Amino acid sequence: MAVALAPPATDDNLMAWARRRLFSTWLDGLITVAFGALMIWAVARIVDWGVLDAVWTVAEKDRCREVDGACWSVIGARGRLILFGLYPHDEHWRSTLACIAIILTMGFSCIPKFWGLRRLPALWVAGFAIFILLMYGGILGLPVVRTEQWGGLSLTVFIFAAVVVIGMPLAVVLALARRSPLPVISGVANVIINFVRSLPLLAILFTAAVVVPFVVPDWAQGDKLVRVTLAFALFFACYQAEIIRAGLQAIPSGQEEAASALGMKYWSRVFDIMLPQAFRNSLPSTINQFVITFKETSIVTIIGFFEIMASGNAAVGTGEWVSQFVEVYVFVGAIYFAFVFGLSRYGAYLERRARLTHG
Amino acid sequence: MADTPAIELTGVSKSFGGFQALLGVDLTVAEGERVVVCGPSGSGKSTLIRCINRLEEHDAGRIVVEGVELSDDVDALDEVRREVGMVFQSFNLFPHLTVLQNCALAPMRVRGTKRAAAEALGMKYLDKVQIPGEAHKFPDQLSGGQQQRVAIARALCMEPRIMLFDEPTSALDPEMIGEVLDTMVTLAEEGMTMICVTHEMAFARRVADRIVFMADGEVVEIADPETFFTNPQNDRTRTFLDQILKQ
Ligand SMILES: Nc1ncnc2c1ncn2[C@@H]1O[C@H](COP(=O)(O)OP(=O)(O)OP(=O)(O)O)[C@@H](O)[C@H]1O
Ligand SMILES: [Mg+2]
Repeated sequence: MAVALAPPATDDNLMAWARRRLFSTWLDGLITVAFGALMIWAVARIVDWGVLDAVWTVAEKDRCREVDGACWSVIGARGRLILFGLYPHDEHWRSTLACIAIILTMGFSCIPKFWGLRRLPALWVAGFAIFILLMYGGILGLPVVRTEQWGGLSLTVFIFAAVVVIGMPLAVVLALARRSPLPVISGVANVIINFVRSLPLLAILFTAAVVVPFVVPDWAQGDKLVRVTLAFALFFACYQAEIIRAGLQAIPSGQEEAASALGMKYWSRVFDIMLPQAFRNSLPSTINQFVITFKETSIVTIIGFFEIMASGNAAVGTGEWVSQFVEVYVFVGAIYFAFVFGLSRYGAYLERRARLTHG
Repeated sequence: MADTPAIELTGVSKSFGGFQALLGVDLTVAEGERVVVCGPSGSGKSTLIRCINRLEEHDAGRIVVEGVELSDDVDALDEVRREVGMVFQSFNLFPHLTVLQNCALAPMRVRGTKRAAAEALGMKYLDKVQIPGEAHKFPDQLSGGQQQRVAIARALCMEPRIMLFDEPTSALDPEMIGEVLDTMVTLAEEGMTMICVTHEMAFARRVADRIVFMADGEVVEIADPETFFTNPQNDRTRTFLDQILKQ
């Protein structure tokens, strides 16, 4: 039997804790004081700039030149442009509702209850249908808004969601194909993955947006936004396929053998045994890939789509607000941060749920 | 049909690349018979029983299980796998599923049993291996002995006519070996057809109808336990027994 030791000293006393952790030596103390001062100064500057010295309303915008602080008037004046891009002013409510629909759909698909081979596809078909109905219109008396005019946050969120929702199943297919014992199937998957990965995303999107119309007959071209989204999804799928494949490879061979020995057929082994474990194994890299993809959506600017980063640029591009670019970038940055931080926290929740990590 | 053997192997050979793991193995196991397979490491014991449910494909010879010959025919394979349960050295429980889900999955997916019925079946066999209380835990929350008993229950949920065991106690701490062997003894007493690769000689002596000794991919000797332990015919058997009984 082990002898019970005295419990470790607890940090019941803040001073004792500080002495031990922050001021245990001369040098420690010096570093603590120096960094403490630096932090206080930085926080004070940010609060001064962003809150105390800031101008808040559009009405007061003339004061912007006089003060040192932030001029948040720009958000009031140009916020709609940032959030909606070129979407017609009178129809902004549709874009808002469409954006909420996609965000809610994302939220629902984060809930384990919705993870089913029927429920999840049904959820996304409904989500996208509502989004397109609202954004495009053309029925129920809603005027048509063509995809060239879509923009801002709705467009960013839509591209991200569509890329992931189309790319994920494709990634699973590619990953499974690449492990196929049939050389034809694994060979084709291999060529697709390596070809797509060797090209820059920009080149792929350009091809979809600009080159395809020259080589494909009119009736098969489809909408530019659709082509770009599909191309983006293919790009995503090729990276995600390798992440899933790594997750599959980490599964001990005994898992599939046990399932086979129980008489389970290929698709049952894949969906009940292999994929759940593969996703669990590859969770950190998958969240990483989602975050990268969310931020990469801003690349569609270059082929003429006004997602939120582009519309932010446009808001300060000309005229009276040129000097307020920092405020606009902080605003856009905060929106990106909200999404990416949400994703990270969700990833951490999933890891806890899968009992990969303790705490 | 009464005298159709449960398992019949004739001239079964298997090679991995250039290496011959099985060399013309003949073995017939009758319905309800308990056969223990032993032999030195690398002698082909695992390969032999993995050929019986075609986790490995044999290159030559014939394997007939419950009257169905194993070949490239997928339907025949499905039929055989429904009748043959297997327990592995490393348990191979599905870590993302609870104990009960581990048990209920195959009946649902393979036999089309409804969830409630499959879970009832699972509880029945968890009862039988004496761990009904752990049904809602995950495999990694159980001890090795408990995990192996869940693996046995999981195989039994398919209500197989034949059970294959590949060194089911080799990965266990000594104090847990007994509980797994007890479960296997119970099964044996109920008349389950069993092929069991094991070096637990006390178990072999107690339950085996016949003991098969393998070396270098061949069956060297087949005998009832009494003869096998007291009067082995082959030199290699004797050397092996000396080594294993010395421990
Ligand atoms: N997948 C494989 N590829 C190549 N060689 C293999 C493979 N599986 C088994 N072998 C070889 O075949 C021989 C027989 O292996 P097998 O696993 O059947 O032995 P065993 O009698 O079960 O041994 P042990 O007591 O160590 O489990 C061994 O020499 C092994 O190295
Ligand atoms: Mg073995």
